[in-house]
Amino acid sequence: MAARNVSKNAKTAPAPPTGRAFAAAFLAWLVPGAGHVFLGRRGRGVAFFVIVGIALGLGWQLDGELSYRLAGHPLEVLRTLGCLGLGLPYFLLRLGLGYAGQLQAPGYEYGSAFLLTAGLMNYLLVLDAWDVARGEKT
Amino acid sequence: MSHFLLMSIYAALVGAFFALLLRREPRGQVKLFLQIFLPMIGLALVVGWLMFFFPSGPPSPIP
Repeated sequence: MAARNVSKNAKTAPAPPTGRAFAAAFLAWLVPGAGHVFLGRRGRGVAFFVIVGIALGLGWQLDGELSYRLAGHPLEVLRTLGCLGLGLPYFLLRLGLGYAGQLQAPGYEYGSAFLLTAGLMNYLLVLDAWDVARGEKT
Repeated sequence: MSHFLLMSIYAALVGAFFALLLRREPRGQVKLFLQIFLPMIGLALVVGWLMFFFPSGPPSPIP
């Protein structure tokens, strides 16, 4: 019985992750949609790039907050982790342009929501690229 | 940009994202997009209308 269970588990156990899966996940985090383009899903990758890019651009134009504090209030840390999902654009905006957002701007709340959503969407793209690379999703 | 326009753009982006992420067939994508987009707009309008009864402003003076 135990041997039968072992063989059954061996059949359903997922294959160990390959370098391709790690590369796809890293690229997906680095540039929104890049992981899907890397995996040959060019159309989907471009579409995801456009969607996340619009959210990022709007958040930027509305002067939303690009959180950068990894200590202090737990919700602030969570927001920073969410924004870090943007990958390279986060560092370009934060470190390259010194952008952090403006609390006094009229669009601050909307902009912050757009920026955080863009980061969270990109995290989902990382997971999707990982699944596609491992063959768990088409 | 107005609040409604920004809210609509937000709902459209979220709807399009999940439709592309979770569905493969165009028909299923359109259906999921509408299932996300329309409730987001509708619920926001309903909540906004309910907030009409709780206006913001200076607190009432203590009698």
